[in-house]
Order: sequence, then structure tokens, then C-alpha cells
Amino acid sequence: MLIELLTKRYPGMRAWLSQRLTGLAMAIYSVLAVWRFFWLAPSDYQSWLAFFQPGWWRLATLLFWFALSLHAWLGIRDVFKDYVPNDTLRAVLLKGLVLLLWLYLAWASYLLLA
Amino acid sequence: MKFSIYRFNPDVDKKPYMQDYEVALEDSDQMLLDALLRIKDLDDSLSLRKSCREGVCGSDSMNINGKNGLACITKLTDLEEPVVLRPMPGLPVIRDLVVDMTQFFENYNSVKPYLVNNDAPPTTERLQSPADRAKLDGLYECILCGACTTSCPSFWWNPDKFVGPAGLMQAYRFMVDSRDQALDERLDNLEEPDRLYRCHNIMNCVEVCPKKLNPNAAIAKIKDLKFEQAREHKNKAKKHIEIKAV
Repeated sequence: MLIELLTKRYPGMRAWLSQRLTGLAMAIYSVLAVWRFFWLAPSDYQSWLAFFQPGWWRLATLLFWFALSLHAWLGIRDVFKDYVPNDTLRAVLLKGLVLLLWLYLAWASYLLLA
Repeated sequence: MKFSIYRFNPDVDKKPYMQDYEVALEDSDQMLLDALLRIKDLDDSLSLRKSCREGVCGSDSMNINGKNGLACITKLTDLEEPVVLRPMPGLPVIRDLVVDMTQFFENYNSVKPYLVNNDAPPTTERLQSPADRAKLDGLYECILCGACTTSCPSFWWNPDKFVGPAGLMQAYRFMVDSRDQALDERLDNLEEPDRLYRCHNIMNCVEVCPKKLNPNAAIAKIKDLKFEQAREHKNKAKKHIEIKAV
């Protein structure tokens, strides 16, 4: 049913639900990150490398970035809708935002998977 | 008692201004509307709407010391001086405390606030069980004063898109009416991203409602109905596939 609500048939619910699901994913990751931080207590470059060494943690971090990007897109899109009444300027800002979020996601992917 | 009241007459004034009044009240003056009528005796150029004087018509809604409410049921003893009165925010001002509520009622009308029932009309009336009737409690009492909708920032930013708490609560009132047959259409009508989902649950609507209603809860229940609608669509699609397979 959740998948049904994320289809094009429900454009409003899709955006609303996506924002909540990505928020939940980020919250779970954050709890795990804090727990791992206190557990492993990385203090230098080598220990930080070790912190990000496990494959599952890299994948989780990548999913976190994806959730963050989608969450930010939905939220900032609403802010632009509210505060940028000029259609052309809003379209330019939204395209710039998409480009920026994709760049950050690509950069995060490169760091985590390279 | 001291008052500071928003004044604007578009025929004369270039911009709005606040005017101070000091008025002697009688013992019988208990509510803010009583005081406003005293002020009107002193200065009959002050414009405001009023009708029933008992919190039923919703005409005299205004912004009272920063919070929307009805002048006729706001006790003078509850107000700090000077009492600052402004028109309800988010709607164009016609004059002084009178706002143009066209957008508010357009949004209300957009949810089809009436029963849709295609069955032949019965000889007497369409009956409901007491349990079905009870589902309308806390919804039908809305007097459409606009206090909630004009307290909502989502309405301020997108008045032509976001339906607003009053309209959405009435949408839900007809969705749960056992005599109505248009649940799917009503839910689809709110699916455009800015019509329903711009509510961010800040609860201004609940705080100001002079009838102590809860539009926020109604909005949450519309989302619940959306989930049920999706479940039913999925089940229908499954059945359709099974029938085709047979």
C-alpha cells in the first residue's frame, strides 16, 4: 500500500509521504551513527577510515545521502514556492537546486564507493 | 478602556494607520463587541461586521491582541490594554476591520460542501444511524468565521492553492457522512500537492477556533482516508488481475 501511495496517481501524497519516509530513514541513520561514534570513538585519520570501512555502513551512508537529497528537494521546493513568486526565477532556482543536490550525491558516492 | 484600532478607508487613506480610542464602558458591556459598539457611537466612521452577537454567525471575526477571534464572545475582562484590533490577516482589507472573504469562500466551495447522493430522493429524508450521525460531531459546528484559515501561514503564502483548515474540515465532514457517495472524488479533489498537504500541523487553527473545533485532526483523518483509498485501489487491481487470469 505504501508503494501504491508513492505512485503518480497520488502526487500530493507521494511528496508528503516521501518526506516522512526519508525523515525516518535519516533519523534511524543518525541514531546508528551516534552509537557507532561513541562505540568506536574515531580520533585520527586511520580510525575514521576504519569507521567507514564496513560495506554495510558505506551503503547506509549512501542511502542517508539519497534520503537527505530527496528530503531537501521537497522541503526547499516548498520554500521557493512560498517566497519566490516570480515563475522564471523560481524555475532557475529549482534547477540550480537539483544540480547542486545531484553534485553532492555524486560526490558522496565517489567518496564512499571509490 | 483603551483601544488601538486598525483604520483604512481606501477612498481617503493612502495607507493604513492605528487609531487610539478611550471609551467609558457601562456595567452591561461584557464583550468586546459591546465596547466596539460604544466606540462606534463616538466615531461612526469605524467599519466592522456584526450580526448575531452570540458567536453563531461568525461575522465579527477579527485579530484581537494578535490572535484571531470573535468580538461578540471575547470577554473584555480577558483582554490586556490597550486592546489592539486589526482585520484578520491574509485577506484583502475592504475597510477598517472588514476583509474581503471571497478567496476563503472560493476555497470552501471548491471542496463541494454539500451531500452528493445519486440515489432517488426518499419520500421523507435520508436517514442516518445515531452512530453515523455522531461522526459529524466536532465538524458540522463550524460557523465559517475564517479565524482558523486566516491564522494559517500556509494559507497566507498560497491562498489560491491551499484550501485552508476551515475548507478541509468541511471536506472531511462530507467524506464521513454516511449519506454521501462521493468519497473517492472528494479525496482525488484534494490530491493536488498544495491543496491539502501544505498543512504543517502548526496548530494555529486549533488555537484560535472560537467553537473549539479541531481542523488539524480532520486534516490528519483525510490522510488516513487516503491510505484506505490506496488499499482499496490495490485490492481492486488485484481482483481485476485474478478475474483476467481466470
